[in-house]
Amino acid sequence: MLKLDRLGWAAGLSFRAYGLTIGVRTNTASILERLVPHLPYGWEVSGVETVDHLFSMLVGHTTEHATPSVVRRVGPAGKRRRFNLLYDGILLDIRTLDVEELLERFESSVRLKVAEHAKRRVFVHAGVVGWRGRAIVVPGRSFSGKTSLVAAMVRAGATYLSDEYAVFDRRGHVFPYLKPLSLRLGDDEKQTHVPVEDLGGVASAVPLQVGHVIATRFVEGASWRPRNLTEGEAVLAMLAHTVPARRDPAAVLEVLNRVARRAVALKGSRGDADEAAAEILARVDSGRVAR
Amino acid sequence: MNTTVTMPQSRSEQLVIQEMADETLVYDLDRHKAHCLNKTASVVWSHCDGTTTVSEMAEILHRDLNLPVDEEVVWLAISQLGKAKLLDGPAQKPFTGAVPARREVMKRMGLIGAAAMLLPVITSIVAPAAVSAASCKAKGKGCTTGAECCSGVCGPGNLCL
Repeated sequence: MLKLDRLGWAAGLSFRAYGLTIGVRTNTASILERLVPHLPYGWEVSGVETVDHLFSMLVGHTTEHATPSVVRRVGPAGKRRRFNLLYDGILLDIRTLDVEELLERFESSVRLKVAEHAKRRVFVHAGVVGWRGRAIVVPGRSFSGKTSLVAAMVRAGATYLSDEYAVFDRRGHVFPYLKPLSLRLGDDEKQTHVPVEDLGGVASAVPLQVGHVIATRFVEGASWRPRNLTEGEAVLAMLAHTVPARRDPAAVLEVLNRVARRAVALKGSRGDADEAAAEILARVDSGRVAR
Repeated sequence: MNTTVTMPQSRSEQLVIQEMADETLVYDLDRHKAHCLNKTASVVWSHCDGTTTVSEMAEILHRDLNLPVDEEVVWLAISQLGKAKLLDGPAQKPFTGAVPARREVMKRMGLIGAAAMLLPVITSIVAPAAVSAASCKAKGKGCTTGAECCSGVCGPGNLCL
């Protein structure tokens, strides 16, 4: 038995998301309630005892006595405060004094775990909207302006599917991943979570076939003059942001290939999000392709 | 120049290959690199069997893709395939060893506009590790590796720079 398993675990929960079962155990039962808002989109209670992945969360408390490796002396009275620890399997994921940071880390680690190991789904880091019954997928890394473009298209009337992951099934259809949009409203890189309804938008409830793949990033002052990508280039544009790309490349390429075969793929820098959104939607409407 | 040199052998181990209408996608499981071969590069790669000669290959490209019969096109493709590590044998041109630049070949063959697309092209990317493909963390957020941070640097105190 591992040392971690011998610790006193007071409570736990297991849930299922995208075919993956994940368990969390903790030394403090009251933290479970605070965990719920941090569980990944699409989770449901599982109740099984054997899970695919196990997280262990040790919540620290302020005490007079504790072992030096997990404590830090804080405050004028020199009280000892235990670190909060999160283990992903047997690996220490984070050691922090801030419980909020612990929860945020749990959220991002679980989300990544699901994105990498989801069964029968391929997760691509991308924004997705629906327009005229087809999806527009915008693959890209953080800070490329993906969410701003998604928000602009939603304000222009597109339905919202995701600002984080394009979740494809084997047929190449994209499923909604309906978390609030993570907008960076100021210059300070801090994200604000905005429900799609606050933008005057509507979320899509159904999966869609992909009509367009837009490989773009924000460049100050740029105007949207895209070029067409070949099917192969479109696959590479998505693969560059695919979470399980290395874990299961054969299955991933097959799915992305299906997407690219049916979609028009465009690549180019963009400037203002609202202007680019209007141009993209107009281009989709007119059925034009770039040359 | 009429070369009787045979084409090198294509690599077949540790590759995932997907044929598309006009392209071939190749994933290198050793290097975690993905390559997109355009039609010309695909045709050349499929004939890298260690027996077809370079001059025969030039004829095949002429017959199948209507390219001018020119061995330099074949050497250009072999050179790119070699750089992408998709060949088992040496990718060097005998005698001179020098492979002309793509631009030189285009100029010499008088290929302009869409016709230039007929020259061999291999586009490559490095497949991301899972953590690199996910949302990156802003400055000041907790991290364990640089790949998690938007800056790429996990600094002192395990905080993203």
